[in-house]
Amino acid sequence: MARRRDEEDDDVDDEEYEDEEEQLMDDEDYDEDEDVGRGRGGSSTKRRRSDFIDDVAEEDDEEDEDDDDEDFGGGKRHNKAPRVGSQFFDLEAQVDSDEEEEEDEGEDDFIVESGGDLPEEDVGRRMHRRPLPLREDEQEDVEALERSIQARYARSSHTEYDEETTDVEQQALLPSVRDPKLWMVKCAIGRERETAVCLMQKYIDKGSELQIRSVIALDHLKNYIYIEADKEAHVREAVKGLRNIFGTKIMLVPIREMTDVLSVESKAIDLSRDTWVRMKIGTYKGDLAQVVDVDNVRQRVTVKLIPRIDLQALANKLEGREVAKKKAFVPPPRFMNVDEARELHIRVERRRDPMTGDYFENIGGMLFKDGFLYKTVSMKSISAQNIKPTFDELEKFRTPSGNGEGEMVGLSTLFANRKKGHFMKGDAVIVVKGDLKNLKGWVEKVEEENVHIRPEMKGLPKTLAVNEKELCKYFEPGNHVKVVSGTKEGATGMVVKVEQHVLIILSDTTKEHIRVFADDVVESSEVTTGVTKIGEYELHDLVLLDNNSFGVIIRVESEAFQVLKGVPERLEVSLVKLREIKCKIEKKFNVQDRYRNTVSVKDVVRILEGPCKGKQGPVEHIYKGVLFVYDRHHLEHAGFICAKADSCCIVGGSRSNGDRNGDSFSRFGGFKTPPRVPPSPRRFSRGGPPYDSGGRNRGGRGGHDALIGTTVKIRQGPFKGYRGRVVDIKGQSVRVELESQMKVVTVDRNFISDNVVISTPYRDTSRYGMGSETPMHPSRTPLHPYMTPMRDPGATPIHDGMRTPMRDRAWNPYAPMSPPRDNWEEGNPASWGTSPQYHPGSPPSRAYEAPTPGSGWASTPGGNYSEAGTPRDSSLAYANAPSPYTPSTPSGQPMTPSSGSYIPGTPGGQPMTPGTGGLDLMSPVIGADNEGPWFMPDILVNVRKSGDETLGVIQEVLPDGSCKVALGSNGSGDTVIVLPSEMEIVAPRKSDKIKIMGGSLRGVTGKLIGVDGTDGIVRIDDSLDVKILDLVILAKLP
Amino acid sequence: MFFHIVLERNMQLHPRHFGRNLRENLVSKLMKDVEGTCSGRHGFVVAITGIENIGKGLIRDGTGFVTFPVKYQCVVFRPFKGEILEAAVTMVNKMGFFAEAGPVQIFVSNHLIPDDMEFQSGDMPNYTTSDGSVKIQKDSEVRLKIIGTRVDATEIFCIGTIKDDFLGVINDPTTA
Repeated sequence: MARRRDEEDDDVDDEEYEDEEEQLMDDEDYDEDEDVGRGRGGSSTKRRRSDFIDDVAEEDDEEDEDDDDEDFGGGKRHNKAPRVGSQFFDLEAQVDSDEEEEEDEGEDDFIVESGGDLPEEDVGRRMHRRPLPLREDEQEDVEALERSIQARYARSSHTEYDEETTDVEQQALLPSVRDPKLWMVKCAIGRERETAVCLMQKYIDKGSELQIRSVIALDHLKNYIYIEADKEAHVREAVKGLRNIFGTKIMLVPIREMTDVLSVESKAIDLSRDTWVRMKIGTYKGDLAQVVDVDNVRQRVTVKLIPRIDLQALANKLEGREVAKKKAFVPPPRFMNVDEARELHIRVERRRDPMTGDYFENIGGMLFKDGFLYKTVSMKSISAQNIKPTFDELEKFRTPSGNGEGEMVGLSTLFANRKKGHFMKGDAVIVVKGDLKNLKGWVEKVEEENVHIRPEMKGLPKTLAVNEKELCKYFEPGNHVKVVSGTKEGATGMVVKVEQHVLIILSDTTKEHIRVFADDVVESSEVTTGVTKIGEYELHDLVLLDNNSFGVIIRVESEAFQVLKGVPERLEVSLVKLREIKCKIEKKFNVQDRYRNTVSVKDVVRILEGPCKGKQGPVEHIYKGVLFVYDRHHLEHAGFICAKADSCCIVGGSRSNGDRNGDSFSRFGGFKTPPRVPPSPRRFSRGGPPYDSGGRNRGGRGGHDALIGTTVKIRQGPFKGYRGRVVDIKGQSVRVELESQMKVVTVDRNFISDNVVISTPYRDTSRYGMGSETPMHPSRTPLHPYMTPMRDPGATPIHDGMRTPMRDRAWNPYAPMSPPRDNWEEGNPASWGTSPQYHPGSPPSRAYEAPTPGSGWASTPGGNYSEAGTPRDSSLAYANAPSPYTPSTPSGQPMTPSSGSYIPGTPGGQPMTPGTGGLDLMSPVIGADNEGPWFMPDILVNVRKSGDETLGVIQEVLPDGSCKVALGSNGSGDTVIVLPSEMEIVAPRKSDKIKIMGGSLRGVTGKLIGVDGTDGIVRIDDSLDVKILDLVILAKLP
Repeated sequence: MFFHIVLERNMQLHPRHFGRNLRENLVSKLMKDVEGTCSGRHGFVVAITGIENIGKGLIRDGTGFVTFPVKYQCVVFRPFKGEILEAAVTMVNKMGFFAEAGPVQIFVSNHLIPDDMEFQSGDMPNYTTSDGSVKIQKDSEVRLKIIGTRVDATEIFCIGTIKDDFLGVINDPTTA
């Protein structure tokens, strides 16, 4: 480039001081020179590219020159006046000067000057010029050329101040039909350059006889050279007799492709010190390396690597022992430990590098420093493009003594790999390089390379154009961001700390720190987890592992999962690869909690013992008696807790099966819990839903697919056309019980159409079915499991009438919201069963009376009906409310979150916000503490001893659960010992004084200022706070 | 920051509540529904302090429910960026600690804890200065500055810092 520059200067001098003739000679020499350059292929193009830049740099020369012109010729001023203002625009200035020279000195100068504009044109024009002095039609040609040039450049003189013209001009420089053509000629492989030089020599020897214009050999194109000539015959003539050119096939390069021949892919990335590269071959293939030194002449690079050296093998080799020929494995990257090497008797030399003065350890010809291997490799064996070092890699490269500079260095590589359109309008950015370093601003406009920013600082121009490479996105702690590229793509979080271009983000979901590059991040208000799925396994899935252990996926990493193992005793997390997972466990199980309540998925449980005692949350998975509970307040393991089923208890679940009073006595006036439905007649479950062992509301509200129980038609497969009822759903397959055959078949879920009339909601049937599961119904044939006696004609009409709208309303719209299990059925069986008022109350119930045992009543939806709010039923419910037996009824209810019973009753669905539902469920006041005896001193109880009922006031609760009760409504009577089963708490009425028996406020007294359904509004005596508490935990005070 | 503002809500009331206590029922239901909830705009509703106005009820066809537009005064709590709060530490781990200021959970990352405080694991994980004079552990009270908030539908989560003047422990349970 420098050389070329000199030449140009010479030219200029020539113009000024030498006459035309000499100058042409000079040019001639120069052109030959140029040709040689072209023969060298790539380098020539490089040189020309630099010419392009030179033109700009030459501005000054031209200026001087212009001044000189003025001195010499004068009268040119008018043409130049406008240039004063436009001097800053290189392009215009350049065009301008071209033109002037054209006018001043004629074509030759012009050509010299604009020679660099575009390589092709350059070639073309030189071609025109070179033969000039030698041809007969010289004059004519010159004139023609002049005309063509005039034609070409006349346009630009009008628009010279318009930036746009550059493109047009460039277009004009492209080869046209009138220019010489390029011909592609086949030659011997590897002899391309030689052939080109031969042709050049031939030209020198033969001169004008050869009518070709140029020869081009490209380094990247083997087997071919290009020859520029007007006619194919000229090419043929020229190549005749050359031994490297055989065959006579000469192909014309289409005009459009001519430019491509000489355009160079700008892949010449500058390898500079400290850039990150990757090795392309050898043991270190794919490894990250850092450039330490570049030798451009020898095309070699010294890189710094983390050595992968098997010291033992090395030692063997050095000692001349036999080494296994080909090692099957590549040693893992590890820093070289010199002491270790010495231990293996490997000779370590310490040498000083004469160039840098650094000390290197030399082991078997390899140089090490600070544990890194310094290796000199060919430039071809490294790739420097699109290197994206990961954090881990960079982290490893950080030497202990490393200072902050390394980081900034990494930055430059990172920037080089930045995607296009990286900056967007409005982005906050900071300048990281140059004079404006640390200036913050906002992106206003993005051009190709330059980004216009609006600086934050006052007193600066409105916008500044800054090179993209000098900018870095800027975030402040507290920004909420989303990672848009890199390994952590998709994650969101809040910026906790900014370390130059590295951000530390607190992930929204995992509450962990993530380190990311600022470049990979955009500001966003979205909350996501990032990747949550690999293959078919998703975050929070229950999976069976190789060794038959199981666990819940609590985190998805790039290629592995973190699994919380199902070991309740200790929290065990393991990292599991995809292939180590056997399968997903989708089967739904039910287990029993400590109090023998059935726990299903989605039930809220509290953990009573173990490392996570006291935590509570919904059950996400159940497997082998182990529950996986999700507690959103639990921060470890993504909120998952693993616990044994029998160390948990259902929140809001009845403890009637165990005991509520802390001892074995039931509060229900001596009613024994009805024995569980004997599990013997299981065959029912063949057709029914998965058999729930408890009095749970079958039909699977929580966790079960809505499809279960619906009647579907099979659309495809061997059972096409059959109708049946969905019994179970497992992943993609559905088990359908056919209507026409006594068979349950498994079909693909896609093969069924479920828009068949949803006849008789199956859930109801099953409920009655539950009652019928007892051997009391011998009449049920296996063929018609649903034709239970209860649904015989007599009962059916009523039953249907009853069932219709409200049930659906009560069940369906709220299914997701209401607590997953309805404890009415479970809690109350006994009470309902014996409730004397209930039987005569409503005609529908009569239908059931006879065949149904107690538990059957439990299943009757009576309780729900009453809440469903239709007049008929509510009369029932409310009739029940004040009845003397109410106090015991709530004992089934107390844990029922009030909203639970309330919600199903609100048809229409709008009023309850989901929030409230959850709130009630979680409300610490209600469900926080349901342990311990219920009876407390000072409260008023109804004592039923030896058949008669009297009021009494508890004076003391004895350790065995029985109480010392002073009889009389104000405790003035005799003191007796009463078993808990013999007494009931007196339900308070409005404006009664009360004592709270459960929850966090246990023991506190207050006044009941209102009743809302099953909730009481209580003003606490001490604090005068108003609380809403379940009526059940309120006891009247005397 | 706490605000005392007037909000409006359409309350649906079940017909069974109609009667003399309709208003009371409505109010108690409103309290139940609203108190403790969180909205991104207003923050947490801490308490209802009064009822401004109960509009005319509108009976809904088919359900018998009645919708009342209720205007109520309430105290809301909304954390802001840059706000200084006092909070009780609820959990300490190696990444930082969580603190609560009422309903708001605030995370203070270890990057935002003064550099001289180091994490000590063990039974009672804590952050302690090298001389042991200051200790942050569960139940400590700290004064912190909120540097970022994330508002969800039902939750406001904040990130705080104690790496600033006058921030840090204000009450230590061990010494108190």
